[in-house]
Amino acid sequence: MKKVRLLVLVLAIAVIATGITSAQDETVLVVGHAESTDSLDPARGYTQTKDIIDHVIYENLVTFPQADASEILPMLATDWAISEDGLSYTFNLASGPVFSDGSPITADDVVFSVNRLKYVQGSPSFLAADIAGVTADDEDTVTFTLSQPNPAFLANLANTAFGIVNADVVRENGGTDAEDAATTDTAETYLNSMSAGSGPYVLESWEPQVETVLVRNSNYTGDAPYFDRIIITNIPEAATQKVALESGEIDLALDLTSDQIVALEGNPEITIYRGPGNIVHFLLMNANPDVGGPMADPLVQKAVRLSLDYEGYVALWGGVQPGSVEFVGNAYAFTPEQGVQRNLDEARALLAEAGYADGFDVTLEYPIFTFQGVNMETNAQKIQADLAEVGINVTLSPAELQVALENYRTGAEGFGYWFWGPDVLDAVDMLAFAPGGKVAEERALWTTDMADPALNELVARARVATDPAEREEVFTGIQTMMQENSPFAPFLQPDVQTAFRADIEGYIWHPQWLLDLALLGRSM
Amino acid sequence: MTFFRYIARRVLFTIPILLGITLVSFLIANAVPADPINVNLPQSQLNNPEIVAAFRAEWGLDKSPLDQYLTYLGNLVQGNLGRSIKTRQLVADDIARFLPATIELATNATVLGILLGVGLGVASAVWRNHWIDFLARTMAVIGVSVPVFVLALVFLSVFHAQLGIAAGPGRLDFTMDEPAMVTGLFTIDSLAAGRMDIFINAVAHLVLPSIVLALYVAGLISRVTRSAMLEVLGMDYMRTARAKGVREIIVIMRHGLSNAMIPILTVIGLSYGNLLAGAVLTESIFAWPGIGRYMFRASTSQDFPAIMGVSLLIALIYVVVNLVVDLLYYFVDPRLRAN
Repeated sequence: MKKVRLLVLVLAIAVIATGITSAQDETVLVVGHAESTDSLDPARGYTQTKDIIDHVIYENLVTFPQADASEILPMLATDWAISEDGLSYTFNLASGPVFSDGSPITADDVVFSVNRLKYVQGSPSFLAADIAGVTADDEDTVTFTLSQPNPAFLANLANTAFGIVNADVVRENGGTDAEDAATTDTAETYLNSMSAGSGPYVLESWEPQVETVLVRNSNYTGDAPYFDRIIITNIPEAATQKVALESGEIDLALDLTSDQIVALEGNPEITIYRGPGNIVHFLLMNANPDVGGPMADPLVQKAVRLSLDYEGYVALWGGVQPGSVEFVGNAYAFTPEQGVQRNLDEARALLAEAGYADGFDVTLEYPIFTFQGVNMETNAQKIQADLAEVGINVTLSPAELQVALENYRTGAEGFGYWFWGPDVLDAVDMLAFAPGGKVAEERALWTTDMADPALNELVARARVATDPAEREEVFTGIQTMMQENSPFAPFLQPDVQTAFRADIEGYIWHPQWLLDLALLGRSM
Repeated sequence: MTFFRYIARRVLFTIPILLGITLVSFLIANAVPADPINVNLPQSQLNNPEIVAAFRAEWGLDKSPLDQYLTYLGNLVQGNLGRSIKTRQLVADDIARFLPATIELATNATVLGILLGVGLGVASAVWRNHWIDFLARTMAVIGVSVPVFVLALVFLSVFHAQLGIAAGPGRLDFTMDEPAMVTGLFTIDSLAAGRMDIFINAVAHLVLPSIVLALYVAGLISRVTRSAMLEVLGMDYMRTARAKGVREIIVIMRHGLSNAMIPILTVIGLSYGNLLAGAVLTESIFAWPGIGRYMFRASTSQDFPAIMGVSLLIALIYVVVNLVVDLLYYFVDPRLRAN
């Protein structure tokens, strides 16, 4: 009897509760997210949660396209000029945009925002480390001087850390851009509770570990977003996000695991987004014969690249074949069509030329790990099968992540399977794999004196070149040469997956800010 | 007068206990063979010795462990629990923010658990070896042994997502604004603000997590109640009461249950302390922003000030709950009053 009464009570409450929520008439988006930030201050936070939120409350001088990092687009800056030596960048500011309080965005705001980022010594301040100075030439022109050429500088400027804040408002609330800002700037509390930017939304409230509320910026000069109000609610458990998404309590679940996504397939109320992410899975073949054995031979390395069944990996996990170690979608990265094509006959011929006509035995080391739903064990077995077709007998040697990582980082792996996520959303990121780079030098033991001098020369130019035409030329050259001769075989760039209610439109995954909340809408 | 001296003595005893707790949790936190730097700074900053040094200085990690401990104690005496590394807020503020959610849930669950547990326990003792007894005991075993996160997830997906008869995760619907902060207990604050809609919503959101926790609590309580009642039911004074013609319900409740109360109170106190100390899994799954979730986050990020603060809080909770239970003994058992 008691139970029945309880059930009736619960029912009654549920009905009333539903009635109350549906009575609101403003457009509201509810996002379920495992919150992971300690700050929303552009100069202090350096987390995914902060990127998602700050991307819609602040604007930068420059930005990326909606879906990738293939080029740099103007945002608050209309155009820019780079000096011959790559040390000086001059930006012209757009005249239209205003801050959320209606005041115009001036060169002083830019100087303040950049210096504050540099001097507060927050988590993302390292992004401004090579800025020697920034000056306002006039009301709407700003010049940056770098201490050394940095072709990734524009990509850095697109990071939410370089979001332009309203200098007057931040100053009034304890902010400073002086050199001692690390100890004297007290604006973080303000910026964690209110925003001082020019993006399509303003921060209404942030209750850490509970929820973040964004409301439409009435002074926003760009295209008005669809939702009046966005609530990002903290749901740390992925399983709970799934339940809340199924019940319609949240519109978008940002942290579902891939098996949870699979379980949602076929649910007509849920849409599943799949698209290539920015992680590249690759094989490492140690260039030092003492460590790599036969794998150190460039002919064998190329034969391995020609032996992999690229389409097969994409069929397993979705995604695309990367054209190089750089993810498809990053600036100057090869497209899947420019990737290595499987050619077993050529691979066998190369092996014969290298003296391995009858093949050889080798051990493949990899971590016991599933990353973003891709099980490395499954891929290792497929690599084993692919290489068996050209006579390379692979013995699989999985190890716990920390153990495998140690061997990988110390360059002790002869033949390894790993994945790479970009540190910088710029083509220079791939130089880690080029001679002189971290992965090449320390992990594959592939040094500059082993590499083709022509490649070394291209790499040297790539480290400083800022002219788009020249960058196109050098990065094309590097990727072409590394397909021919390098100790790496990139083979898969898997899909990322997100699930949301079927009436949500405009979802686009982005390698920098994950998703642009201002692009989302709801179909009628 | 002895009563107040008793309380005073108990309160004095808590001081060395709390001091011991600070020492133990400090030693444990420092014994973990990992550097908080690695957990709290991204790789790009770990490479920068200046940032690492600044971080160490900011959190006192550059001092010797003894200095760190003494500094902590000094601050503690002034009521300063320090600042959390992870949230960068004062630990005391964090606790004030997260504790009410836990108190609200734990209290509801415990009340529900007591009603269910004592009822089932008495019934199964009175109808010993009857089907009622077997049913009650089976429920108790299930309540205690089914992992709470399984129960929580099953309840959420069945009653919330599929049947739609119960409110989902969170303390309120995500689109609903919180009531103005008075006590931090939404049920009370919403009434104080005269917001009946928020009150109803808050109660609805309490239902599922409370039931999940209450099943566990009821399992514990009913088992203890049953065995305590069985002992009492065989006593001579029960027979005497019945012989006097006292009604059976009065015999069981007044003569039976009140004499069986001591062990039951002990279990209630322990389990309430347990829930207040953080029902980590339940709070995580129900997206309940309570102290359990805060503690979990603090310990996984080696947030020393927060770990120490919460450890102290938990110790304090147990001390207070035990004190209250002891005082209740005093009222329940006349023999204690006589002494």
